[in-house]
Amino acid sequence: MIQLNSASVTYKGKTALSDITLHIKKGQKLALVGRSGSGKSTLLKLLYENQNKLNKNAALIPQEYALVQNLSVFHNVYMGQLGRRSTWYNLLNLIKPFHEPVTQVSDILENLQIKDKLFEPVHQLSGGQQQRTAIARAQMHDGDFLLADEPVSSLDETQSQLVMQLLCEQFETVIFSLHDIDLALKFCDRIIGLDHGQLVIDTSTDRLNRSDLLKLYEK
Amino acid sequence: MKNTLITCILFTLSILASFNTYSADKILIFSAIPDQNQSQLNLRFNKIANYLSESLNTPVKYVPVKSYAAAITAFRNNQVQLAWFGGLSGVRARSLVPDSEAIAQGVEDTKFETYFIAHHSTGLKPSKHLPESISGKDFTFGSKGSTSGRLMPEFYIREQFKKSPSELFDHVGFSGNHSRTIALVQTGAYQLGAVNYKVWQNELKNGKIDTRKVSVIWKTPTYPDYQWSVRGDVDSVWGKGFKDKIKHALISMKDPELLNAFPRSAFITANNDDYLPILNTAKKIGLID
Amino acid sequence: MKNNSAPIYHHSQRWKVSWLFVFIAFLCSFYSDLGINTFEPMTELGRFFSGLLHPSLDNINSPINAILQTISFALLGVAFGSLTGFFLSLLFHWKFIRIICALIRSVHELFWALIFLQIFGLHPITGLLALGLPYAATFAKVYAEIIEESDHRAYDSIRQNTGLISAFFYARLPDLWPHFVTYTSYRLECGLRSSAVLGFVGLPTLGYYLSSAFLEGQYSEVWALLILFYILIASIHYWVRPRLLPVYLLIAPFIIANDSVISLDNITRFFTQDIIPSPIKNGEPFDALWLWFSDLFFNEALPGIINTLLLTQLALVATGIMALLLFPLISNLFFNRVERYAGHIFLVIMRSTPEYILAFILLTLWGPSMLPAVVALTLHNGAIIAHLMGRYSENLTNQSNNIKGINLYFYRVLPEIYGPFLAFLFYRWEIIMRETAILGILGIATLGFYIDSAIADIRFDKAMILIFITAFLNVGVDILSRYIRSRLRLKTTAECS
Repeated sequence: MIQLNSASVTYKGKTALSDITLHIKKGQKLALVGRSGSGKSTLLKLLYENQNKLNKNAALIPQEYALVQNLSVFHNVYMGQLGRRSTWYNLLNLIKPFHEPVTQVSDILENLQIKDKLFEPVHQLSGGQQQRTAIARAQMHDGDFLLADEPVSSLDETQSQLVMQLLCEQFETVIFSLHDIDLALKFCDRIIGLDHGQLVIDTSTDRLNRSDLLKLYEK
Repeated sequence: MKNTLITCILFTLSILASFNTYSADKILIFSAIPDQNQSQLNLRFNKIANYLSESLNTPVKYVPVKSYAAAITAFRNNQVQLAWFGGLSGVRARSLVPDSEAIAQGVEDTKFETYFIAHHSTGLKPSKHLPESISGKDFTFGSKGSTSGRLMPEFYIREQFKKSPSELFDHVGFSGNHSRTIALVQTGAYQLGAVNYKVWQNELKNGKIDTRKVSVIWKTPTYPDYQWSVRGDVDSVWGKGFKDKIKHALISMKDPELLNAFPRSAFITANNDDYLPILNTAKKIGLID
Repeated sequence: MKNNSAPIYHHSQRWKVSWLFVFIAFLCSFYSDLGINTFEPMTELGRFFSGLLHPSLDNINSPINAILQTISFALLGVAFGSLTGFFLSLLFHWKFIRIICALIRSVHELFWALIFLQIFGLHPITGLLALGLPYAATFAKVYAEIIEESDHRAYDSIRQNTGLISAFFYARLPDLWPHFVTYTSYRLECGLRSSAVLGFVGLPTLGYYLSSAFLEGQYSEVWALLILFYILIASIHYWVRPRLLPVYLLIAPFIIANDSVISLDNITRFFTQDIIPSPIKNGEPFDALWLWFSDLFFNEALPGIINTLLLTQLALVATGIMALLLFPLISNLFFNRVERYAGHIFLVIMRSTPEYILAFILLTLWGPSMLPAVVALTLHNGAIIAHLMGRYSENLTNQSNNIKGINLYFYRVLPEIYGPFLAFLFYRWEIIMRETAILGILGIATLGFYIDSAIADIRFDKAMILIFITAFLNVGVDILSRYIRSRLRLKTTAECS
């Protein structure tokens, strides 16, 4: 379903990814692990930019949320669907929200426990609430697969579990970047370890344990 | 943001609407060169507007302008159809509008004069010729486009001294209008100035001039000056003979209150050729090509 | 902040450049006429200030109308400018658009007004465009800068799957909006000043009555009008409300409307005849054209350029010195609350009075020379920079309370603030030059004098060439100023003209 063959990325003269070959099958749940700067985000970005070439449609949860601070939670989540509606519908919805998308967004926010923030501007939310807004936007977008860059970094233990659960239920194929090894082991069936832009681990979860992964962070 | 969107649309519509709301009833609009204090001009020409609308049986409106050039442009652009011009501005305006005509002038305008005036500190006295000692002093004209405040004084300065004003004087200024020239020389901002004799006499009569501070030192020979000019196409808009009706109305103006506002003793007929001397003088000193 | 703390006194590049400019200004002063030429200057000055004691509006036909006209032209001009500027800012990555905008910006509103007076005459569109066009070019530049510096991430994350318009309205505009609003409302204040000044060439705004009252020596009226103007500017936050703006914008066109009609013939004639150099129009040989042009260049353009440059350099350095002297007046490091209040009032009055009006007042009082122009430019621009520096200095904390006064100024504050100070000053260089050129209309022999004369002589061909020369001179100074700012690593944010 998703393929990379000897992909390399250089950024400002530095190699961010070198010689990555990756085949992802439909239905797989992947976790990218590694220290910060190891190339996880770059790999996710590369996959996101390649979606058109693959003729696939990806939902994205960027690490930095990429929300529009002066729009309400509703409009930010609705942005996941912009491409599916006509321009006029979108513009009118900006002025006066339509009933249908409001219900849709409310349902998603309900699951994420922030329904009460529906019409609050994003800049008034806490970090965790903003992150859940970005998650809701990806859920609204839907698509063939999900790319999630540290999707639960600002959430507490219970919320993290809940969100991972929701995402894995909705999306058949998911690629997470995670620094929480326990979550990776619990929700994913395949683990990719990155170090200095190189692929150092690529194996199914049941062949790994915690200490194998911790080594990646120790070097 | 929502508000702005709606506003933008309404705003565009209202601009379009407002720009198209000129009345169907054709108003004759006239203007005049701003040769003296605006408040006096407004007083004078609003009276004239009333007089003309009664005599012509047509709405008439006076529009003030801020400069001689603006008066000429308004005449040229048909935003005014009738104008009270000076000699030079009239020649310029009529050369830009085909078939336009000088139709009336004041009795005094056939023999107009410019007075050279001086601040008391110069010690200059009235004389037959411009005194040699004016060189190196500060001098102010009126408006750049004025006949009595620019064209004629510059002509006589050049004729006598064979130098341009900026070569002859230390500073050369343009006060803007005749009232201002008198004020500036009176306060000593400039030592010398050139002024329309009618404005001088009028302000002297009204007690606005302190003769201990400022006095006349030389009078130019006479020349033709102010006139009423009208566009050639007024007959086609207001009907045949309208131009003659305006001319008649001006010449038969007898009310001393109206005439004193100019001040002129009466208006008489004029034609374009009366102003050939002005055209030639302007060509000589390079103000007209 | 680190960067600004670089040593400013000896050996630093900023220090050397500063002295170079002071030296140039010193040389300029020898070639400039800076005397007071009035013989009894105190009489007129006394009359002027006695007018302040009993301001009167009795003689003015309708001050209310003047105020309404001033507001209407300002609102409509700024509205037109911001709308047009917004669309231009979206195309600002095209070099062509950037060049056009730079040229339009470099021509002062008053010159635009003189041009449009020839095309549209007394029709209100003259004022609307004279204000709106240069404002549009400025808005385009500043909006483009805002767009460039803003957060692209939300936009980038959805643009692949979304139409351009939807993506822009959802992911860009909401976050750009507050910045647009801040800058636009700030420009509205500038617009009020410009609108008032346009009265000097014939728009029915405050300047119209102000110049008449001045020329007639009616100082009571002058003061009444000036006070009205200050109240208008000072109260701007009370009467400009987002909810009221639509209402204002709907009414304004009807306030400025008059009976004039635009004729297409006049517009065509202006472009096909009036501005064509007369030797070409008359079919004269090339020699005649060359003679015409060289005559124009050596007798009008060149002296105009020289005087414009002399006056600009003098005013620039004087502005800098004035700002360095004035900013402590409003800084909490030097004065207490009450004292600062007085300082604020002085600076507000100086920066809300347009240079043109200040120069006009001083010329009347002191007679013809460059001095009134230098003082006017210095007071107005100095007050603006002092205001910005004063605000900036509030961010500096006085760590050791035992340094005070002069020592505090030279050891602590000046080294910290000198970078931003130079940035503000060089930013205003081009603005000062634009104003210098325009002051020629008042009789000082800068380029504006020759432009005004050409228009008075109904020689628009000459006027247009001189306006072009003025524009290029301005663009040149803008480029030089940007080069110096980047060499000295000075950064500024967008500011008013």
